[in-house]
Amino acid sequence: MARYTPETSAEIETIIQDALLKKTPLKISGYGTKTGLGGQVQAADELSLAGHKGITDYQPEELVMVARAGTLLSEIEEALTQKGQMLAFEPPHLEGFYGTEHAGSLGGAIACNLSGPRRISAGAARDYLLGFDAVSGRAGYFRSGSKVMKNVTGYDLSKLMCGSFGMLAVMSEITLKVLPRPEYVASLSLKCARLAEAQSVLSAAFGSATEPSGGAILADGGEFVATIRLEGVQISVEDRLKSLSDLLASFGDLSVKDQEESNDFWANMRDISFLDKAAEQVWKLSVTPSLAPQIIAEIQSSFDIQFGLDWAGGLIWLSGSGAGLGRHIRQVLAANGGGHAMLMRASDRLRDIQPVFQPLGEAISGLQTRIKTAFDPENILNPQRVNLGGEADANAF
Amino acid sequence: MLLPEPEQNILDRRDEIVAALKSMLPKGCVIDDRTTMKAFDSDALSAYRNLPLVVVLPETARQVADVMKWCRDNKVKIVPRGAGTSLSGGALPLSDGVLLGLGKFNQITEIDYENRTVTAQPGVTNLAITTAVQDNGFYYAPDPSSQIACSIGGNIAENSGGVHCLKYGLTTNNVLGIEMVTMDGEIVRLGGKHLDAPGFDILGIMTGSEGLLGIVTEVTVRILRKPATQRAMLVGFDSAQQAGQAVSTVIGAGIIPAGMEMMDNPAINAAEDFVQAGYPREAAALLIVELDGPEVEVDYLLDRVACLMKTSGASSMRVSQSEEERNQFWAGRKSAFPAVGRISPDYLCMDGTIPRKALPEMLTRMSAMSQKYGLRVANVFHAGDGNLHPLILFDANAEGELERAETFGAEILRNCVALGGVLTGEHGVGVEKRDLMGEMFSEDDLKQQQRLKCAFDPDHLLNPGKVFPVLHRCAELGRLHVHHGQLPHPDIPRF
Repeated sequence: MARYTPETSAEIETIIQDALLKKTPLKISGYGTKTGLGGQVQAADELSLAGHKGITDYQPEELVMVARAGTLLSEIEEALTQKGQMLAFEPPHLEGFYGTEHAGSLGGAIACNLSGPRRISAGAARDYLLGFDAVSGRAGYFRSGSKVMKNVTGYDLSKLMCGSFGMLAVMSEITLKVLPRPEYVASLSLKCARLAEAQSVLSAAFGSATEPSGGAILADGGEFVATIRLEGVQISVEDRLKSLSDLLASFGDLSVKDQEESNDFWANMRDISFLDKAAEQVWKLSVTPSLAPQIIAEIQSSFDIQFGLDWAGGLIWLSGSGAGLGRHIRQVLAANGGGHAMLMRASDRLRDIQPVFQPLGEAISGLQTRIKTAFDPENILNPQRVNLGGEADANAF
Repeated sequence: MLLPEPEQNILDRRDEIVAALKSMLPKGCVIDDRTTMKAFDSDALSAYRNLPLVVVLPETARQVADVMKWCRDNKVKIVPRGAGTSLSGGALPLSDGVLLGLGKFNQITEIDYENRTVTAQPGVTNLAITTAVQDNGFYYAPDPSSQIACSIGGNIAENSGGVHCLKYGLTTNNVLGIEMVTMDGEIVRLGGKHLDAPGFDILGIMTGSEGLLGIVTEVTVRILRKPATQRAMLVGFDSAQQAGQAVSTVIGAGIIPAGMEMMDNPAINAAEDFVQAGYPREAAALLIVELDGPEVEVDYLLDRVACLMKTSGASSMRVSQSEEERNQFWAGRKSAFPAVGRISPDYLCMDGTIPRKALPEMLTRMSAMSQKYGLRVANVFHAGDGNLHPLILFDANAEGELERAETFGAEILRNCVALGGVLTGEHGVGVEKRDLMGEMFSEDDLKQQQRLKCAFDPDHLLNPGKVFPVLHRCAELGRLHVHHGQLPHPDIPRF
């Protein structure tokens, strides 16, 4: 097994050309921190971007940063923090979750399109990729997007790269939209006897003019704590905290988390640190927020699970065990407004015997496969990382 | 400007095609007489007109699917059309193509306040979505200038923006799901009330695909709670350079206003003559800055922005004291296009984007170009995100002026690219900017984009002749050449 660590896009091109000639697939990686996510790649050789790193352009007043794909996420965030800015999609730091040394590369964060609690208000990784250059599975170098906010001329290939798990092209340089870091953060928590009640609290908060940037529910003993995050200039956060307290007073007793407590709480949500470390399976469910309590109740009727809600109820993190768990989850989703389930963490064996990603249905699978062919006709890049086909399921949108 | 050569065998088969379409659609859904078809012969880029082969106005997704499948099987082209407000000719008909209008898809199908979504058919206007939810304190954020007329389906095709996308994003950041019909006649759903579906992001590439990949038959968007307070300020500057610098200063200070618009002196005066918005006529450039949020936040940020404007050399400043005054501030900006229409027989509205910091340089170049071409230009910008809308004033009845205006426009867009920007902001490429794509993209970049098209529409039946200057056959694009950078470039005729 060969491991290549190119330092330029030209070198990436050469490696893919050779792979094409030899017809040997490549495993595409950064530092390998998210190999626990997705199907197991069947490839003899590996192309790692760990040697292709560094911030190449950062213009805070333009809200734009350009960096090579192998740049450490921590390096990016440090440079942004120094200028009072941030990646607004709050990429998770999953070193604790996957037991890796660090949170990995920028390229990996983008390719997996993973976003933290602010997803609900600020958007996903996909909403912050302004442009990139890359080498396709055809060994063709191409560019898309640019360094401006309204960046789309032609097809928005940036959207396609986010969540492509390295299966279409190997990104070389990445252009991001960055945003000012809020000067202050505080959160409001409220304990409810029932999950549905806690969900109503989130719904009321997000339907108000208080501009929440996070909404989570965690179980606490037999009760459920809804927590809502407010960010911005301090005078505004304090004012909205008061409005929100008035709005939610009828739901129960409120408590406020200050800046430091808030930061800890939301980092814990972002990094999925609240679930049992030893759990056999961890699932990520994306659902219609108001249906989350019903979905959880139906899953609990057959399986013993631990869970937490984020994205105002639209994201369910869930841990449990049993071979039929995934199948049951997907049946429950299909009967409750659609949505999808992704197996975030499980043993290699479990990831082999059940689809990690939600099966897409026949028509969409066909499109997915043809898109793959358009970029990587010989299936050279990360084969099997994402199951593009899967069983047809009309409800599995 | 050339469209692909019409296929004679399709033109010859017109009667048969019309009969087939009539057999699969309800009465009144097929328009084939030339007089009635005239209403569809152009979109808002009205310099270009062309009669379609036939117009169909289906009523259901199933009917759209039947038409698409039949057209695929019979190799007949389709041009989709929403409200026909495209400024880039995206819905310009083809003589040998079926024009598929979505005007009958005009219902809002669901309003869900609990999950903050609206689901609507594609022919519903952008403004109708906000109108439907505003009594409950909600709105739909993207607000293109044409929002009273443009359709939500068209917004998806063009990834429309508006004056508030600096803070709230473009269409692509506000669409949660769609139902679409593929060229194969399959009806598929992407996304919904849940986020971030697995697999390659087809919803993401459909947005802004200008009707080349599929036809949207239903849309789910997120709605937002109306901010507690909105206030606008007018800031005059003695030079456009100072105004441009002020925009960067505000954003550099960590403030993202809800909107930050700029108008140059000709645009200020045209608007003032038209609606008396109270703009400073003597200013070389005017910024309209809007802040929204809780009242205390808006007051606080207005003070900060005022300070930054003063240090940037503002010559005048006014803050709206009432909702009425705020609307008056915006009235001038929102009527800038008709206002310019009053001072010139015709105008061409351009659309390009540059990095914010290049605004002063771009304005300098623009006045030089205005002199060179002997045509006046009025500028309105979405300054916050670097999106330019220069209005080139001309008289179509004067010999050669339209051509001169188009050449001027093309030079503006070349300059956008040269300054690190892009050819479009929110109007799309369409036919208008199709032949300039090579300014921004290499042949390889464009080929990779077209390979994506092949995944959806291998016979190039959906809206061909738009966006891409050269139509490569999918079989040719699919061939793999594994020699170091030596891809052959056969001499293919351009339109």
